[in-house]
Amino acid sequence: MSLFIASIGFGIVTAAVLALAAVGFTVQFGVTDVLNLAYASVMVACAFIALVVNHSGQSVWVGLVVGAVAGAVISLVINRYIYAPFQRRGTSEIGVVIVSLGVLLIIEFTVQALQGPNNASYIMTQGTSFAIGGLLLTTVQFVIIGLSVAFMIGLHLMLRYTRFGKAMRATAADRTLARNCGIRTDRVVTLACLLTGALCGVAGTVFAINAGSFGATSADLFLVLILAAVYLGGPGQPYGAMVGAVVIGVATEVSAVFITSDYKYAVAFIILLVILAVRPRGLFGAGANS
Amino acid sequence: MSQSTLFYLANLLVYGGVDAIACLGLSMQFGVAGISNFGYIIFQAAGAYTAAVLALPPDHANGGFQSYIGGLGLPFPIPWIGAAVAGGLVALPFTLLVGRRLTGQVAAIGLLVTAVMANLLVNNFVPLFNGAAGLSVVPQPLDKLINPQSEVYQWGYGGAAVLIAVAIYFLFRRLTESPYGRSLRAMRDNSPVADALGKDLLSQRTAMLVLGGAAAGLSGGILVGFITLWSPAAWGYAETIVIFAAVIIGGLGNHKGAMLGAILVPLGFEEATRFIPAIGAPGLIPALQWVAIGLLIVLFLWFRPQGIIPEPRRRIFAKAQAQGAGRAEVATLAQFAPRARLPSPADGPEREPGPILSTKEVRVSFDGVHAVDGVSISIERGRLTGLIGPNGAGKSTLLSVLAGTVTATQGRILYEGQDVTRKPTYLRARAGLVRTFQLASEFKRLTVVENLLSAVPAQLGDSFRGALRGRRYWGREELAAVDEARALMTQFGLIEYADAYAGNLSGGQRRLVEIMRALMAKPQLLLLDEPMAGIHPTLTRKIGQSLQSLCQDGMTILLVEHELAFMDEFCDPVIVMAEGRVLAEGTMAELRGQAEVVEAYLVG
Repeated sequence: MSLFIASIGFGIVTAAVLALAAVGFTVQFGVTDVLNLAYASVMVACAFIALVVNHSGQSVWVGLVVGAVAGAVISLVINRYIYAPFQRRGTSEIGVVIVSLGVLLIIEFTVQALQGPNNASYIMTQGTSFAIGGLLLTTVQFVIIGLSVAFMIGLHLMLRYTRFGKAMRATAADRTLARNCGIRTDRVVTLACLLTGALCGVAGTVFAINAGSFGATSADLFLVLILAAVYLGGPGQPYGAMVGAVVIGVATEVSAVFITSDYKYAVAFIILLVILAVRPRGLFGAGANS
Repeated sequence: MSQSTLFYLANLLVYGGVDAIACLGLSMQFGVAGISNFGYIIFQAAGAYTAAVLALPPDHANGGFQSYIGGLGLPFPIPWIGAAVAGGLVALPFTLLVGRRLTGQVAAIGLLVTAVMANLLVNNFVPLFNGAAGLSVVPQPLDKLINPQSEVYQWGYGGAAVLIAVAIYFLFRRLTESPYGRSLRAMRDNSPVADALGKDLLSQRTAMLVLGGAAAGLSGGILVGFITLWSPAAWGYAETIVIFAAVIIGGLGNHKGAMLGAILVPLGFEEATRFIPAIGAPGLIPALQWVAIGLLIVLFLWFRPQGIIPEPRRRIFAKAQAQGAGRAEVATLAQFAPRARLPSPADGPEREPGPILSTKEVRVSFDGVHAVDGVSISIERGRLTGLIGPNGAGKSTLLSVLAGTVTATQGRILYEGQDVTRKPTYLRARAGLVRTFQLASEFKRLTVVENLLSAVPAQLGDSFRGALRGRRYWGREELAAVDEARALMTQFGLIEYADAYAGNLSGGQRRLVEIMRALMAKPQLLLLDEPMAGIHPTLTRKIGQSLQSLCQDGMTILLVEHELAFMDEFCDPVIVMAEGRVLAEGTMAELRGQAEVVEAYLVG
């Protein structure tokens, strides 16, 4: 029983990491219309940049900030100079997805070429552990959860109450229509790429912190979790992705108690396959027959 | 040449053959049928595993140092056959993902993720797959008869692999260049439209998944018999991307491109790195190799998306002319009228001549919005019925629900006296209920004449088996169909574009292609959604007369159009819709007398 409760603790931490990643993914997808399968490889690239900063003597939290900036820049560059030109030329959706697979290889294995095949870890302490009603979490894990919650609230406020947030939602709903309504969609897409890229960078760094050690290919499986959370919530739906992240994160870690932890990702995988086959617009996705 | 060079060349033959077979399978799935199988490597791995465990002795025989299921110790060629069968069988569950409705991105993600998970499972599950260690000392085919280390054996193996690749190339080409292949390419270009023309997308996708899976499986089986190892590390999801890179670089939609891609990418890359001196940290060169493949994909899709060998334009019309077709007199339009139905026992002694189609309180809702809100209409046989109404009245949705593209939320649709409310689109099309689309919906990478031929119902060569029997079986019928297409193209003034890609025509010409294509289906009931949009007025009148004469010959047409002059001249009766409901029905003269109709629509 205690193991079960402890696993819920792990699940909440995983959900926190996943929420950052999935919300970034889904907002990026909504605004840019690119199903960017290179997303998880950008996460790892940012984690690696944070590692370089960290190993040069800085705190991992400084690394996190640098990782976020790097994520913003990389995402913007990929979108503006690779995906967007293909879209303008009229390359099919699936064509752009294949391009993103090419980008995935480029980024993932550039990191591997730089980092080498071995896993690496940040130089940091996990801080003291706290036990709250059976949940056993370290300071660092609390920080991750806090960070994630803060980002989610911030995103919520931005989407609801700022002009930019509304412009972003309008662009996601229909870019041409938004442009015709006087929204400068190019600028919205640029800012959205920076924002979601920063989320991706933060997600990558906290993913690496939480994992303890990581390598270039570490996030391949995490992509399964991201896609599961995104499709469960409905692609393009930030609130759906938050809910999806909590469900998938907790389900993954709790299932590790009952089956071996080698297969804990299988739960996310099965949820994803079922949702893809039965309701690909997700639990919160709108628009029948579209 | 030294002994080792000879062995090396024999090795190249084996790898080249294996890669070519794998690339051909994906070329068929992705290049021809448009199925983005991002999990393709699973099929190769499954075939290789099956071949291994069929050839291996029981797992306790080797001192039990590795565990696996099977271990039947079966002789060649059973492991290879098993590999192909396993690759094909593994494909079946995936039809759930790439079935009739799910396509494109969603299916692609499902397959990619499955490949990632399958590799995880294999790496960790010892009883079945021996975990990350994989299987080793797999017996080689015929190793009791010929020493596998001998030169003869190595060259023989390479020769066999290449021969099989060439045989598969010819098999796939035969399929691709048949009417069945045309249906596959139509599905690739636009699946909803192929569906509306009576193509069974589920069966086509299933066939291609199984066929491509079998090719992948066989390639895995041939490989494992040669290297005697089966290692999960070799079947990572990224290997699929390599095969994609190969078929994209070689050229999609033609199998020569797949063969070339196989030689350039998987084989070429693997071999080129052998000759690069080991610089930098261990693992640097393989990592850079992956980066290079990623770069190749992006650069090729940008600079040469058609690949090194582009898909050939199929000059079917010119070839048919050369073969002496077209000597028959120019056909009349009447021949596109539905073939007279012979009375069948199922019809009962006397069939009611009533309406060809009727709806009862049909309702279609999208998230609470009633696009069609309780529509009951009857379409009389042999009439050219018009359907008008303001934008958003539900006209196109009504057409979609009649054709089956959209499912009715409530109500019933009766066609030829049968309830077809739940009948899939392609079956309605096969029963003679054919629609066109409001938006351009030609098959872009099919020529005009191919677009027309794609609609011909029940062609001999438009099935997997029929296509396998070859041109001698279906060629004559095809020539007759080309003759019919010629008559239509002459009538509509597009004869000189017969062998041009439909996607390269002007907007108006593409509308004409679509109307002609629908006529080629010889529909009982033709649903036309704004067919005249973008067509020159003089031609509009000519088409109107043609449609009218088709109705006199027994076709029934329901036509959505905004041009009231056209309605005035050709349509009787005319149905008026507004806000999802039928407002009125009658001749245009009658409608002009009704105040509410004039108010809703006719003003302005």
